[in-house]
Amino acid sequence: MSETFNTRFAGLPAADRRLITGIAAVALVALALGILGGLLTALARGGFLDIVPNTGYRLLTVHGVSIFFYWLFLAQSALLLGFAAAEEGRGLVRRGLAWTGFALMLAGFVFSIAGAHMGVPLLYNGAPELAEQTPGALLVFNLGYLLLGLGLIVLPAAAIVTLLTPRWQGRQQRLSAVGFALFAWAGFLMVTGFAALYTFLPGALWALGLAPFPASHGTSWHIVFHNLHYLPLMAAVILWYVLVRWLTGVKSVFGERFSKIVFAMYLVFVPPTSLYHMFLEPDLPGVVRVTGSLLSLFVSVPTLTAFLIIVASLEVHARAQGGRGLFGWLRLLPWRHPSMAAIAVAVLSMGLGITFAFVLIQEKLAPLLSDTFFVPGYFHFFTLGTVSLTLLAAFACVLPAIGGRPLWRPGLLRYMPWLAFAGLLIFGAAGVAAGYLGVPRRVIDVAYQGQSPALWQGLMAAVAVGGAIMAAALTAFAAGIAAALWPARRPAAEPGGLTVNWGGVTLRPGVTAWVGPLAVLLIVAAMYVFTAVGFELMQSLPIAGSGAGGH
Amino acid sequence: MNEDFWLIASVAIIWAILALVYALAPWGDMIGYAWVWGVGSLLFLGLAGLLRTGRTGGG
Repeated sequence: MSETFNTRFAGLPAADRRLITGIAAVALVALALGILGGLLTALARGGFLDIVPNTGYRLLTVHGVSIFFYWLFLAQSALLLGFAAAEEGRGLVRRGLAWTGFALMLAGFVFSIAGAHMGVPLLYNGAPELAEQTPGALLVFNLGYLLLGLGLIVLPAAAIVTLLTPRWQGRQQRLSAVGFALFAWAGFLMVTGFAALYTFLPGALWALGLAPFPASHGTSWHIVFHNLHYLPLMAAVILWYVLVRWLTGVKSVFGERFSKIVFAMYLVFVPPTSLYHMFLEPDLPGVVRVTGSLLSLFVSVPTLTAFLIIVASLEVHARAQGGRGLFGWLRLLPWRHPSMAAIAVAVLSMGLGITFAFVLIQEKLAPLLSDTFFVPGYFHFFTLGTVSLTLLAAFACVLPAIGGRPLWRPGLLRYMPWLAFAGLLIFGAAGVAAGYLGVPRRVIDVAYQGQSPALWQGLMAAVAVGGAIMAAALTAFAAGIAAALWPARRPAAEPGGLTVNWGGVTLRPGVTAWVGPLAVLLIVAAMYVFTAVGFELMQSLPIAGSGAGGH
Repeated sequence: MNEDFWLIASVAIIWAILALVYALAPWGDMIGYAWVWGVGSLLFLGLAGLLRTGRTGGG
């Protein structure tokens, strides 16, 4: 199967390959800038770097803007276009739309980073309250997000037209499961682009003197944030589905139609579950809080279902290859390919991220934890562990196929996701513990002139150490993959033995797959334990919780 | 019309209902949610429409 994908990507028109590598290159620049900002922020918080708080907030802004907005969404754009173009192997239709969208996003990146260096650091949510004295800075900053939003509306249109053209030309009656997933993903990107426009246009108009001050920015931010949070997760799951096929040849044993239903479930479950962002609003009625709590339980249903499909499909195929024991079949997976390691770390990180996310979004705990370091402690399991590593795993397959240059030192690169995971575990454990103990987030110096508990600084030092390990490993992994951006003079074949091909295997009736359901059971049990720990700790604190804002 | 159309159309309908609920919600400032999911609903209705068009036959 890897041959099929490689052939399709290698056979794309040169203009498509230039576009996809161009977007990927800018995405990797955004990642590098974001890693640098994050590393310096973590070192400052840990007391290893002495900087004035304002510089720390600016670094934090650069970190959040570069990673959360531009790395995640430029990378998604490159991969969406790439897989849409490769779906039939005939290339992109309406390539001009894709170029226009890319140009808008690139301009947005420049404006956002420029805005991050002007006036008071706005943090990545561009809170207008911080820019009341510097409307010009808010204008530049918001222009960046507005251009990004426009790009997110225009660019996916090229993918949609590409996916539908075979149907319009009578060559296809229904989309493949992957084609449908790409179609839904593209549509969701466009809606999120509109949400960004809705959120950041009022601030820009106020800065121009054309509208009143955007007092309700906080609520609008929740809308766009919710989408920005779940879109990369949807993208990650779609990419697992595709990459597992690329690396092993395995397709879902549940059939294409069921996969389509699961991908559509993302679009059904994500919007109504956003109510939990409102838990900090003091005037929210009790019935809405209860409804929000119940709905929030559904937020991970599509992710866990897709996870079950992929793991079960892999397990039954690996058992057909001779895999034995509850976990013994895992040894047969193509671990020599760095993408396999990255996907494994992504799955483990997702399990941990979901566990702590469910602790955070409970109505009673949200007001106590939302403004603490619990939030960055848990969400790096998603942003770095799950999503960034999945996007890099995809680039590790796509870029060598496009440019013809084999992946740089796969034997070394395959250890980088595990090293990043080690750093993530230190960062996450220290961060979550710090959150339980009340360490505030978005504060560079938590010493408070020596008045804060001594443990706070120790935990922040651990966060810095974990952050430094994550940054080093992720940089090495991304740099190794980026080497494939340089096209080879003569295309070289992928080194042998990096992938397996189990696609044509006939499965034995009655074969069972238990690891997926057991993993979900483990996640539910861990959620219960950490919720109980959270309540016990919170009840022992001599303070009452009150919050403002949100994520 | 096959499952591609029905799945995307279902999303459009659910988002439309959600936008209506948000628009009429007496609590909080939810009109932004109504706008985003309302526009999303229209977009997905359009996408569902695109999935209806196409020549019969083919494989």
